[in-house]
Amino acid sequence: MTNQLALLAAVFVFPGGLFALLFGLALKGADRRVAARLQGRVGPPLAQPFFDLVKLGFKRTMVPATSAGQTLFLGAPLVGVVAMLVAAALVPIAGVYAPQPILGNLLVLLYLLMVPGVVLMVAGSASGSPYGSIGFSREMALMLAYEGPLVLVVAAVALRTGWGMGGTVTFSLSEIVEYQRTHGAFLLDPVMWPAVAAFVFFYPANLGIVPFDIPEAETEVLEGPLLEYSGPALGLFKVMSALKAVVVLGLGLALFFPVAPNGIFGLVFWLVEMLVLMILGVTVVRVSVGRMRIDQAFAFFLKWPLLFAAASLAVVAVVG
Amino acid sequence: MLSIATLEPMALAWTGAIFLLFGEVAALLSLPRLTRVIVASTIAEVGYVLMGLGLGGAAGETGAYMHLFFQVVMRGLVVAAGWWLIRRTGSSNLDDLAGSGRRMPVASTLFAFGMFSVMGLSPFKGSYSKFLILYAATEQGHWAMAAVGTIATIVAAAYYLQVVQRVYLEHPSRRVDLAEGPALAMPIAWVLTGLTIVISLWPEPVLWISEVLSGHLHSAKVPEFEGPWSILVLVPYVGGFAVWAIGQVSLRARDAAAVVLAVATVAMIAFAGDLEPATRLFALLFALVSAVMIIYSIDYMARAEWSNRYYFFAFLMTGSLIGVVTSHELGNFYVFWELMTWTSYFLIVHDQNQKAIRAGFVYFLMCAGGAYVMHLGILLVHAQIGSFEFAELSAHAASLPPAIGFAIATCLLVGFAVKTGLVPGHAWLPIAHPVAPSSISGPLSGLLTKAGVFGMIKVLFVVFGLGALDRFAVLGIGFDTILVVLGCLTLLYGEIRALYETELKRMLAFSTLAQVGEITAILGLGTVLAVDASLLHVTNHAVMKTLLFYAAGAFILRTGHKKIAELAGLGRVMPFTAGCYALASLAIMGLPPFSGFVSKFLMIWAAAQAGHWEVAAVLLIGGVIGVVYYTRVISTLFYQPYEGEVVVREAPTSMLVAIGLLAAAIVFGGLLPGFQLDLVARVGDVVAARSGLAQVTLPSFVMAWPASATIALVGSAIVWLVGRSSVVWAGRLAVLTLVLAFFGVVFQWGRYDLLSGSFALLIAGVGVLNMIHATAYLAHSHAQGRFYAAFGVMIAGLLGMTAAKDVFTFFGFWELMSSWALWGAIAHEETPVARREAFKYFLFNTVGASFMFLGLTLVVALAGTFDLAGIGKVLPTLGALPTGIAVGLVFLGLVMKAAQLPIRIDWQMHPAAAPTPVSGYISAVLLKSGPWGVLKLFVLFGGATLFARFGQYADQSVMMDVIAVIAALTILYAGAMAVVQNGIKLVLIYSTVCQLGYVLLAVSLATPLGVAGGLMHFVNHMFLKDTLFLAAGAVMVSTHAEMLDELGGLGRRMPWTFAMFLIAGLSLAGVPPMAGFSSKWIIFEAAFQSGHWALGASAMIGSLFTLAAVLKFAHAAFMGTPTAKALQAEEAPLAMLIPMGVLTVASFVVGVFPGLLLVPISAIQAQLGFTPIAATLAGGLPGLEGWHPGLLSVFVVLIGAVLLPYLRLGHRAGVVRTQIHQCGVGDLLPETTRVGAVNLFETPNAAIRGLLTRKPARLGDGKSA
Repeated sequence: MTNQLALLAAVFVFPGGLFALLFGLALKGADRRVAARLQGRVGPPLAQPFFDLVKLGFKRTMVPATSAGQTLFLGAPLVGVVAMLVAAALVPIAGVYAPQPILGNLLVLLYLLMVPGVVLMVAGSASGSPYGSIGFSREMALMLAYEGPLVLVVAAVALRTGWGMGGTVTFSLSEIVEYQRTHGAFLLDPVMWPAVAAFVFFYPANLGIVPFDIPEAETEVLEGPLLEYSGPALGLFKVMSALKAVVVLGLGLALFFPVAPNGIFGLVFWLVEMLVLMILGVTVVRVSVGRMRIDQAFAFFLKWPLLFAAASLAVVAVVG
Repeated sequence: MLSIATLEPMALAWTGAIFLLFGEVAALLSLPRLTRVIVASTIAEVGYVLMGLGLGGAAGETGAYMHLFFQVVMRGLVVAAGWWLIRRTGSSNLDDLAGSGRRMPVASTLFAFGMFSVMGLSPFKGSYSKFLILYAATEQGHWAMAAVGTIATIVAAAYYLQVVQRVYLEHPSRRVDLAEGPALAMPIAWVLTGLTIVISLWPEPVLWISEVLSGHLHSAKVPEFEGPWSILVLVPYVGGFAVWAIGQVSLRARDAAAVVLAVATVAMIAFAGDLEPATRLFALLFALVSAVMIIYSIDYMARAEWSNRYYFFAFLMTGSLIGVVTSHELGNFYVFWELMTWTSYFLIVHDQNQKAIRAGFVYFLMCAGGAYVMHLGILLVHAQIGSFEFAELSAHAASLPPAIGFAIATCLLVGFAVKTGLVPGHAWLPIAHPVAPSSISGPLSGLLTKAGVFGMIKVLFVVFGLGALDRFAVLGIGFDTILVVLGCLTLLYGEIRALYETELKRMLAFSTLAQVGEITAILGLGTVLAVDASLLHVTNHAVMKTLLFYAAGAFILRTGHKKIAELAGLGRVMPFTAGCYALASLAIMGLPPFSGFVSKFLMIWAAAQAGHWEVAAVLLIGGVIGVVYYTRVISTLFYQPYEGEVVVREAPTSMLVAIGLLAAAIVFGGLLPGFQLDLVARVGDVVAARSGLAQVTLPSFVMAWPASATIALVGSAIVWLVGRSSVVWAGRLAVLTLVLAFFGVVFQWGRYDLLSGSFALLIAGVGVLNMIHATAYLAHSHAQGRFYAAFGVMIAGLLGMTAAKDVFTFFGFWELMSSWALWGAIAHEETPVARREAFKYFLFNTVGASFMFLGLTLVVALAGTFDLAGIGKVLPTLGALPTGIAVGLVFLGLVMKAAQLPIRIDWQMHPAAAPTPVSGYISAVLLKSGPWGVLKLFVLFGGATLFARFGQYADQSVMMDVIAVIAALTILYAGAMAVVQNGIKLVLIYSTVCQLGYVLLAVSLATPLGVAGGLMHFVNHMFLKDTLFLAAGAVMVSTHAEMLDELGGLGRRMPWTFAMFLIAGLSLAGVPPMAGFSSKWIIFEAAFQSGHWALGASAMIGSLFTLAAVLKFAHAAFMGTPTAKALQAEEAPLAMLIPMGVLTVASFVVGVFPGLLLVPISAIQAQLGFTPIAATLAGGLPGLEGWHPGLLSVFVVLIGAVLLPYLRLGHRAGVVRTQIHQCGVGDLLPETTRVGAVNLFETPNAAIRGLLTRKPARLGDGKSA
């Protein structure tokens, strides 16, 4: 029974569910605030994402006359949020939380991470707007470019762990975390540096921030898929984006730097790590570089990240 | 001093020989002056007499005197009749005499009769004086002289025949005013005619006088060239005269008499008890086909000229054929051989037009020439052994010196080979067939060429024996090699020429070359099994080719068209004839369930058994070429619109009866070949006994039809018939048939292992759904019954295949499933694209099946059993290399079926042109036979322990590794190709290839987890891809679109179709926690855990391509800006939605409860001998890190329910409909703003195209990456 309760808790309260929601929105708030400061603005209050959510809840739902179907159009963001909430329950927090195997392993998480992209594409396309279609087109191109390197990176981590533990491979996130806690973080392991390098390029693309915010580029395609959204549905998209930040950053930590003390200090440590990652890895990047064109981004991913990812797998395979 | 008295006898003989040769040449050069020809020819005959006298001896001198007598009488007849003709015409020039047959029929007939008598040919065969003289030469060892005589005879034949043809057969080239003829000429001619008949039938008095004159009476050294004729011969022979006589009175009575006579001939042979096996086989075949020929002729010749003459020669030909096979000795054999040529010559030239006469000339000259060479061989034999009797020859064959034996066998073989039509003696065949009446073309191919085969078997194999033939080998080249080489050359030559032929009957004639080449090549293998195989094919080919010619004759009779291209759409107006033509074509291509399949199987097996896999390969290559040209005709007949006149009717009754009888024989021979096999095996036994080889017990070659397959096949036939009157009922019956077939599987559950049984249930179950969908899909199409039937037969093949327990049944059903029925279903739309694509796929399937064919027969040859389980027991004890090659070929066939790289993937995939329900079925179900076969055979053939012996690496057998790597490459390649497609179905088909890659990859990992994942994906893909196809089909029916860019925004008009498409698509793309992801997850895990991490990573990346392809489809068709076309679309009818719904629900249920699939899968694994995965009905996925998709689904639903109220907050005041933002421009057309399929993925498309296709990137595809 405790098992089931623990599962429910993991999905609904911590680290998925409520916790992920709040933490994600807080990270967003921090991001906006710091970005504003870096740009010489005052910026919104930290709780602005929460306010936005409430405000959007009071707006009326609008559906384009040309949409492919109201249920699909409105349901899409809901699916995205749900997927990310479940995904959040799959991300381990070193020393604090290890997901139960019955929920799924790294592979499940990896494919759940595709859902927000799918949802965005479907949403853009279902709106019937040409901007949505362009956003769809760009999102798919980007996914095709970055998912390949990501798969190779994940494989490298899984193999390194599996072989390190004397087995074949392991996609269990808890084992990956445990292995690094006893053998040292992969971030500090030269063998894994190519993998880290490839992963570094992946997460801005997945999170849709500059220089890879091409699908939703406001100044080009007016936020693309989101253009026709308003009200609660738009709010759900914002939640989805916030949750995705938690999942992706958390995944990065689990894969390469699950170093933390046990217990409550571990959680604090993790929260700080996430915040630092958000600011350094997201905020600073997005205010300091410009946007790439989609063909540039596509070519870029098939060059460097793919090279690094392939190298990482090769190095792991050679070292064993 | 030189005087006759002191002349050396041999000098005299040589003088004669020179006279003979130069005389004949001079006569030939004297054309067209008839008088001079006859004078020169007479001088030449003097040469014969001199030769006889000079050679001396009983034979020589008696022959000389006899020749003198014969020539006086017969030449007298020629001179008298010729005198009359010349005087009346007023010229001795053949150009003027040409056409005398019309002007002076009686005198011309007598003249022709005289000419043939002089040559030594007529129905009253009697003139053997020449033989005596030539015999004297060989007897005394003067072979050169005999050879000169033979050459002279061939030269003579050339001008005799020209003279006869021009005078008797040709049309008059100009009008000639006839003068009075000499009064004496005709009476003399009549008297001499009578004399000729008498001395031919009863030459004894002449012989006696000659023996007296030469002083050799009672010396008994004169050989008897002929024995008494068998009663079996006399019946058609004498009957032929009777029929001719009746025909002078009443044509109807003649027809009746002809049929009675033909049937009587058959009955006589059928009940003749003491026939030697080869004789019985060939005599029965000849008599039966001849009887059909007579039946066909009744209506075919009803309005023809000279029909009495036709029947006369037809019966004489039958009699001669039977005579050849019933002979006990070479004398009669030769006589009948000559008569066979002579009688068939008259049938070939029956129409008496310029072409026919030319063809007849070539035919006669070649066959007669060959026969003369053969005759030389016969005389040589007699000179060596002193007898013509087969029994005697057989007893003394061992004593023949090798060099002489070689000469004899070569001479005989020349005669046989020319008759059989072996390259280079084939020239007559393609010329003679088209010009002969079609009633004759059939037997010409079917029977006359087989007389040559009979000669090879009877004289070379049975009389001399294989051992003697081996001894005759010169320079290590035996007759077996010669036959194989000649056969293969003829086979390839015939197939290639047929391929480029545009005229139907010529194409069939070249195909005959190919077929006799096949028969000869197999015969040349010289094993008992090979003899059985080639003989079985002799019988089958006789029937098949006769039918083909008869159907072609019906087409020509009704339309007057001879070119293949001109037969377009004839299947519509002559359904029975064209249907039977198609049936015979399928049979001759070697496709089940028809007779040709059995003999082809036997031949390939015989080649494999004999260790001559190269011969088998040549046969299979020939078969592939055959598929090309035979399919082309069927396609023209049935899958092209009819554009001819409306008045064309079905062929007349008697022709239909004949064609129907032959068709029935083909079906019977395919389903129950026992009768033929029994006849054939007895000949094999004789050959075995003669040559001291072990007898061979042939398997029954009856395909084991399970109830389900029988129901599907019979039901399909009924559906086809019903479809001609009621489309709706045909559809209902088709569905009902498959429902019954489903229960057929259930009731015979014990027949199957769990894997195959489960597959069979899915085959029938999904078949029912797709058939329901098809009834709606084709509601406004054409020829629905034909389509339902083809679909049903395809399913019958699948059902039979799953139940197969032996190699023959397995391969038979495999072919049934993947050949003609499939082709027919795909080509249904009758557009040029559909025809081309269907043909391409058919051809590719044939190639794939050929590899498997070769592999399977090699396996059988190695294991010595047909039983699949038995093979599994034996294989591990056999040598690794041959076993590896054989099994590798089988697996190559299976992998090609699943359309895996590395051949041409655009050829391997099933084409998009097929009606969508069948496309879906092929994708979802039929192609699964590849992975199913890999798994089943892997286990049956001994699993990893066997495969390990082919080379081992990292605990995996190399063969399975190769398949796995191919599958992984295919996943990436086909996945990427799916992304760049813009055709509605091409997207889905490429994706199918990609998904089959997953199944095959997993299965070939051969680990418990891998097999489980493969089987699970096997089922998931079946549900999901079928849903996608059925949805696409609904879209196509609703919009009549073919390309994605014609669509857009359909989602609002077809919400259910769209919903099911999107769910199935995303599931297939691997979005957790749906069914498609679960099975892929197992596959990823299995690949990584078995050490194949590179393959696992490829598989993971591949699923992204599927996502892109599915979303592209969804966007272009259902979402995006709506097009005008889309706005007129309507939601699919229930008959489409229900099957889609059932599939969607099924995939949803197994998505939530994967145990429903995994529990049976683990049972299957246990039965197959793998360690079963742990699975419970309500449980999650297996493996070390097993999770539960159902649990995840529950959470998804729960969280969704929690969040839904927030989403619905905005609904309080109702949902607002807005116009999309277009920067304030209101009048932009959707066509201008929409992002269509072509432009959707510009950047990745350019990269993929640049990488994978050689086509330059489309304009507007943007900069390449």
